[in-house]
Amino acid sequence: MTNAQDKSATAPADADRQAEAVPPTAAGTTTAVSAAKAPTAVAESSGGVVATLFRFQSVFGLLAVFIAAIIFSPRRDGEILFLSADNLANVVRAVSEIGIIAVGMTFVILIGGIDLSVGAVLGLAAVGSAVLMVENDWGFLPSIVVVLAIGLVFGALQGMATAMIGIQSFIVTLAGLQIARGLARIWSDGQGVAIAYGNGPNEAPDSFAILGERTFGGLVPIPVLIFAVVAIAAIVFLRVSAFSRHLYAVGGNEKAARLSGVPVIRVKIAVFAICGLLASLAGIVHAVQLNQGSPNDGIGYELDAIAAVVIGGTSLAGGRGSVAGTVAGALLLGVLNNILALNNIDSNIQLLIKGLVIVAAAALQRLRPAS
Amino acid sequence: MAEVADLVRMSRIGKRYGGVQACREVDFTLGAGEVHALLGENGAGKSTLMKILSGDVTEYDGQIEINGRNVSFAGPTDAQAAGIAMIHQELDLVPGLSVADNIFLGRELRTRWKTVDRRRMEREARTLLERSGVDLDPRRPVGELRVGEQQLVTIAKAISLDARVLIMDEPTSALTTSEVERLFVVIRELRRGGVGIVYISHRMEEIAQVADRATVLRNGQFVTSFDPRRLSTTEVVEAMVGRPVQTMFTTPDAAAGDELLRVDNLVLKPRRPRPGRRDPDGISLTVRSGEIVGLAGLLGAGRTELLETLYGVAPGGSRSGRIVLQGKEIQPRSPRHALSQGIGFVPEDRRTSGLVLFHSILANTVVSSLPSYGRLGVIARRMERAASVRMADRLRLKFGRLQDDVGTLSGGNQQKVVFGRMLLTEPRLLLLDEPTRGVDIGAKSEIYRLLGELAGQGIGVLLASSELPELVGVCDRVVVLRDGRDVASFSTADSSEGDLLAAAMGDRAEFEGRAVFEEVGGPQ
Repeated sequence: MTNAQDKSATAPADADRQAEAVPPTAAGTTTAVSAAKAPTAVAESSGGVVATLFRFQSVFGLLAVFIAAIIFSPRRDGEILFLSADNLANVVRAVSEIGIIAVGMTFVILIGGIDLSVGAVLGLAAVGSAVLMVENDWGFLPSIVVVLAIGLVFGALQGMATAMIGIQSFIVTLAGLQIARGLARIWSDGQGVAIAYGNGPNEAPDSFAILGERTFGGLVPIPVLIFAVVAIAAIVFLRVSAFSRHLYAVGGNEKAARLSGVPVIRVKIAVFAICGLLASLAGIVHAVQLNQGSPNDGIGYELDAIAAVVIGGTSLAGGRGSVAGTVAGALLLGVLNNILALNNIDSNIQLLIKGLVIVAAAALQRLRPAS
Repeated sequence: MAEVADLVRMSRIGKRYGGVQACREVDFTLGAGEVHALLGENGAGKSTLMKILSGDVTEYDGQIEINGRNVSFAGPTDAQAAGIAMIHQELDLVPGLSVADNIFLGRELRTRWKTVDRRRMEREARTLLERSGVDLDPRRPVGELRVGEQQLVTIAKAISLDARVLIMDEPTSALTTSEVERLFVVIRELRRGGVGIVYISHRMEEIAQVADRATVLRNGQFVTSFDPRRLSTTEVVEAMVGRPVQTMFTTPDAAAGDELLRVDNLVLKPRRPRPGRRDPDGISLTVRSGEIVGLAGLLGAGRTELLETLYGVAPGGSRSGRIVLQGKEIQPRSPRHALSQGIGFVPEDRRTSGLVLFHSILANTVVSSLPSYGRLGVIARRMERAASVRMADRLRLKFGRLQDDVGTLSGGNQQKVVFGRMLLTEPRLLLLDEPTRGVDIGAKSEIYRLLGELAGQGIGVLLASSELPELVGVCDRVVVLRDGRDVASFSTADSSEGDLLAAAMGDRAEFEGRAVFEEVGGPQ
């Protein structure tokens, strides 16, 4: 009760944050924005500003890191290296895989679950792409479809285990991680499979290579484009679909959702399937960027994805959060990595700094007026 | 009335939550050895006022004096140090820990070696429970206890704090008659020891029995203070509601139509035994359309379990007997399935089973009827908003904005949201489990009005309740359950509360004449 009441203390602006974070609210963006701007009788304007700051916390965090990156960026001939088009494109390209995974992870965390298998599924998908196209000489399309289907089915099976048998998703996906990694090793004989392009035997079709290239006049890497499409699709989906309401309800109060007629089991299976699908998509992108599929690809990616989701403000307890926040969280981590690398900071120190940033983000969320 | 120096003096207390003024310039005093009842509808500001006193709410206007000294608490720990303990309506116990562990949680007794002194904790817990008149093994895990027993544990815990001020928020809502009596003995004993007690309750007869003084709040403001032994219930209710209460119970016309639901000798044998549950063991009943049928019975008689079976939330196992809805036999598999058959359900505990408290009013209202707003799985916001607004109007929901969290509403209005959600699915049969528990009188009478209206539209209602006046007043017919069987059926036109009670108790207990009956039904 205290919680609920504290929340109402910053009612309008806060409700707007909810409108953004929890789609089931009525107001579209327009109402939300106008309400936040008009200082209604209810909230003092200072409270409104604070609430807005918290609402866009991950975006402001990203902005802060971005500005810090500009300041600390090494310069050559007066040019800020961080801001060069090439570098910026690289930043986003580097986060595109984690970003795609993190979108799926957001779905899972929104229903109060966790998926530890995504890194391993990425590895399995990378191996699958390489083996099918290089060793089995499959065409581009069938390979992609099969690899994506593997991720989808793998995720759905995990969803069934957690939703129907009732094993906690942490355990299910911990097992799934081992299984996917094992499958990848078996499929590749434990070896990385190098990808060469061409029309001959044991060469992947050139059409696959396109996925690693750039578009829009060589400015935008295709992986970035894929990430953007996935993120936007997910944001739109969470805003308009009936399914997303069910998803938030399951995460918010599973028992109430069930008694309200929400098909809880179906929602859970679908969410884990989506997460698996996106992990395998990230695996395809990974394979094309590295020109190989190795069973060791993607080790630890699940943790980076979770970090991006957490920095993005999605509650690990479920029922509250947004994909937009996750995208900001992923970009924040990407910019941070980039600027540390540009300055040749020792990689161990990099880890340390990343850890501190995650703690800081989580701490800030505790401080927000209504969480 | 204790005319000694005030133990607690709260002056001009104000608190606002966003647009809602929860408390406005409220004065409240409590003497040593006084029992001061606090009355008011849900949302009247009682809980807020007491949360301020107990340090749960730290930002407010006004002043608090304890023993004449100005205080300002930074948190509940501060308040406890000042001798103020609060028994919350929501039980704050850890289910996995034992009774003794819960009582001493955070201040465990230690041995010489600084390890936990389990034996001494159990011994002292036992003494404490005996003092509170509770017969409980302190080693039992709290999760195994009935809600009423859990309530007694929280009371024992609060007493063990040796507080000078004890705040009890609806302490008896799940207690049996005899437990309530024993609690009153404890309260009187504490009073003799000079403890000041704030007693929040909706039950007028309890207040008349135990309180020295009563204060009524309405819309966050002080309304009146009186001697509870002198004012009549009607007068008190009018003070709380702020307008004369015409008829609390609408008795709908018994223009019942065709048979809607028939349950024939329903027996459920779960695969795994469920301790503390009473699954249907041979229940037969009918509900006609437009009829409101009550389900009476003591706690543990199997009312909730019957409703859950009909709604498809019963555990797996073997089922025999028939459930026939409008002439067609059905096997409710899940809430979703039941809803698709036209069966709606309002659960007993809206906080844990009804609502997502931190989601919006809108989201909570439309969640069961989503596919009907829009096409191909895409929601038309205007349609769902319209549906939600329509339902809010129909239920006379008091709220700020549809996108406010449902948790910001008062209990009665939260309950209306659960009702509205079900009504949007256009059910033919509505299953209600204690729909007015923890709901204030104003919202209660609105819910009754709504039930009458629904019956008028031909919807059948099966209403499980522990409140006899409600059953007799609202229902056309009442079916009494005992030990998972139906044992009697009354037309409310020619039966009294006493008849129901006698049937519910069978020959195992004597009639105690209490309006609200909540005896233990299970074998001891």
